[in-house]
Amino acid sequence: MSRVINFYLLSYSIGSLKREKYKNIFLFVVISLLVALLASTFFLSNAMKSEYNTLIDTYPDIVLQNQKAGVAATIESSIADKLLLLDGVKNSEARVYGSYYFNHADSELTIIGVNMFTPSCSSFINDLMQKHSLHRGEILVSSNVKNLFNNYYYKEYFNFIKSDGSLKKMQIDEVFKNSKNFFNKNTLVMLKSDARDIFDYKEYEARDIAIDVANRDEVVSIALKIKRLYPHMNVITKEDLQVEYENLYNFKSGFFLTIFIISFFTFFIIIYDKLSGLNGEKRREIGILKAIGWRVGDVLNAKLYEGAILSLSGYLTGIILAFVYVYLLNAPLLKNIFLYSNNLLKDYTIHLSVEYETLALLFFLSVPIYIVATIIPSWKIATLDADEVMR
Amino acid sequence: MIELKNVSKEYEGGVKALNRVSLKFTEGEVVVLKGMSGSGKSSILSLIAGLCKPTEGEVVVDGKHISKLADHFATSFRRENIGMIFQKYNLIVDLSVQENILLPLVPLNLKNDELEKRLNRELERSNLVSKKDIQVKKLSGGEQQRCAIARANSNNPKIILADEPTANLDEKLSLEFIASLCEMKRENRTIIIATHDPLFFDLDFVDRIVEVGYGKIV
Amino acid sequence: MIISPEVLTIYIIDAIFILFASVAFVISVRIVKNYDVNATTALQYELEKKSYLVATIIRCLFYIKVPFFLFFIFILNNISFVLPGAMCGAGVVNSSSAAVPLLFLKLLNSYLFAYWILLDKDDMSIESQPYIKQKFFLYLLFYLLLITEIYLEFSMFLNIDITSVVDCCGVIFSHTDGSYMAQFFGLPASFYITLFYGNFALLLLSYLVKSRYIFALLNLIFVIVALLSLIAFFGIYIYELPTHHCPFCLLQSEYNYVGYVLYSLLFLGTFNGVVIGLHLFSVDVQKEKMRYSLIFLMLYVSTISYYFLGYYLKNSVWL
Repeated sequence: MSRVINFYLLSYSIGSLKREKYKNIFLFVVISLLVALLASTFFLSNAMKSEYNTLIDTYPDIVLQNQKAGVAATIESSIADKLLLLDGVKNSEARVYGSYYFNHADSELTIIGVNMFTPSCSSFINDLMQKHSLHRGEILVSSNVKNLFNNYYYKEYFNFIKSDGSLKKMQIDEVFKNSKNFFNKNTLVMLKSDARDIFDYKEYEARDIAIDVANRDEVVSIALKIKRLYPHMNVITKEDLQVEYENLYNFKSGFFLTIFIISFFTFFIIIYDKLSGLNGEKRREIGILKAIGWRVGDVLNAKLYEGAILSLSGYLTGIILAFVYVYLLNAPLLKNIFLYSNNLLKDYTIHLSVEYETLALLFFLSVPIYIVATIIPSWKIATLDADEVMR
Repeated sequence: MIELKNVSKEYEGGVKALNRVSLKFTEGEVVVLKGMSGSGKSSILSLIAGLCKPTEGEVVVDGKHISKLADHFATSFRRENIGMIFQKYNLIVDLSVQENILLPLVPLNLKNDELEKRLNRELERSNLVSKKDIQVKKLSGGEQQRCAIARANSNNPKIILADEPTANLDEKLSLEFIASLCEMKRENRTIIIATHDPLFFDLDFVDRIVEVGYGKIV
Repeated sequence: MIISPEVLTIYIIDAIFILFASVAFVISVRIVKNYDVNATTALQYELEKKSYLVATIIRCLFYIKVPFFLFFIFILNNISFVLPGAMCGAGVVNSSSAAVPLLFLKLLNSYLFAYWILLDKDDMSIESQPYIKQKFFLYLLFYLLLITEIYLEFSMFLNIDITSVVDCCGVIFSHTDGSYMAQFFGLPASFYITLFYGNFALLLLSYLVKSRYIFALLNLIFVIVALLSLIAFFGIYIYELPTHHCPFCLLQSEYNYVGYVLYSLLFLGTFNGVVIGLHLFSVDVQKEKMRYSLIFLMLYVSTISYYFLGYYLKNSVWL
């Protein structure tokens, strides 16, 4: 049994690639750049997806939202206590939180309201409240926000502008370490009563109700029960959110993929064209090879080897380039497309999160497609009449 | 050993290169096909080598109906039995001497030592040992000619086909080439030379001279 | 309907398959109709040249199809994260009526294309090319299967509804469910052990007897026996969970992707075994195929036994 790979043929193919240096370097560069471009967008969107996933993990199992005229509205806090009576509900909380626009810095801050002594549905807040205490008129800020405030000389206190235009002065009490997750980076924490004051909520109002369920398998049935109790409200489970984000990012990268495919196909038309138009020198070479005993299959194999070497090395180079660009250089320019440019997120470093399917997907889009695109031109070359060399 | 039976060959565009030619060659014979360019002698070589198919008639080499074999098998036959020497050497000038000599052996996927053995034998015989890594385009005309012969011999062919082998050589090199043919004859190979070079017409080791003109045997 | 980069990739590769397979189909039709080894016409030379093109296309399609099949299953597992309720590929498969036939067809086509390549190789080693018409005629049939497969694949991804809740594998392959699957799980362990090892023992026996038809037939049966016993019985030792019967979870990282190894071994083993019944190879090639078949199946059986016996050695109890 002969060896599966004919190494002499392989080295002939490598030699043949080298002999047409400029053409092949051009093809190699185009393949690796295209792969690198798409790989970067995938790496980045995967990183964002995994950020969202860790964020969603800290979310409550079910969220109940009130709606008025199709937009989210405040909800009565007392509903939280009623829901607590349902079987299977472990905890429920009327949450007061929202975003606050800090004018000078052009930044969105996230305000989270807490109760000192009742446990929250968020593990992040529970952990935080074990370590720090809060009083009326005090705020806890993340180190990120602290730096921002420092830049605008709010060292001791910060003035919030309420909806009626008046100021609410809050003492900056303590600083907690930035959460690893970048969506939590611009957070500040205060008592619910203070938060209600800033958001202009009434005493009995909350933004939504968070519900934790004892047994994860029961989430769907409890969500249905709640929906029956409050048919006009919106019941959102954690899984719904996960699916939603997944789809959002799939859509975003799908968009890039489409662009990529168009450019790739254009590229393959160029290849087809290049390979089909053989110069006299090359024709003669094939003629010689056939005259001295190369079969059609041997010439074809040599050509397919060439394509495989070129596309595989282009693919690998592209992946490596994307790694360097995204994880070492932190994806300059491209990052801005995926993240809205918020001053607080500028120092966000991308965490390594590589999904095998991304690598596999890029492989299938580059290597086999390239090889397949070269089949017909290679076949045309391989079946040239050999007796041309005799004329 | 080689037989052409009523063979005609017509190229695209209606050019008739051969018209009902019948020829026979026996084993170990050295035959010169003499004729002007365009007389059809090159076509005879192509047909024997299985490089192209006749429009009519049959070519039998060593008991095999070459003209009826699919290209795949015709090529297999060629690489086992036929060595070819061309008018313009037809070497791949960007490759080195040893790469050129090994070229016919590449698809065979032989073991390393077997390949080494054949390479060294041919390098020694053609006196190119010192030049084996040099690109062919840097060689002199005579060296290129020797390299081409070494390549034709590398697969131990029974039949050598030479197409205008001395057309680009001066007299000294032509005589050198003829000497190497003489050596091949001693190894009992069948040699067919298509040429119009008068040097070949009165050599003592040539068994027969066949004149070809206008697609027919004269 | 589901749009993700992975699914788009599948569409693109499928489109390319259709394009090239159709080119090969058109040429094959002409070859079946007009090929004549004895002819010396221009048409014959053209067809001969084109036959190389067809063979190359089919070979390329096959070599892409095999890893692409693995990719497809990988993607099914991934989509399960988007589908509410699904835990692995089984949920996705169950969510579309096209999926089960699609999987079977993919498997069948892998065997058929591999068979075609062997037939072609054999044909190209004999000067009279005895199988030339047969192989191109077979390709015409395989082409229809391939197109059906691609059609099913498209319709499966188009019909998956990402908003409706599907069953997870725990439900699809449950003991208590009244489905036909449940009846298999009720059978005693000794049944599966006897069936599986018994079948393999017969294979060894038929290897010694060297009867190609019996060997091939036993291999064919082994495909079914191995898959059934894997789902119904041996799988639970890989999951180390008596209720977990799923052919897809094996392919996930929690189980070190062992499924890919198992399925590949099973394919390589049974393919080499079955093909000698379909085609008369030279004595040497036949021996070689039998040997390969046996080696791969032995590896498969050892891997399965490793999990099965390993569990007992570790916990000194059967599941």
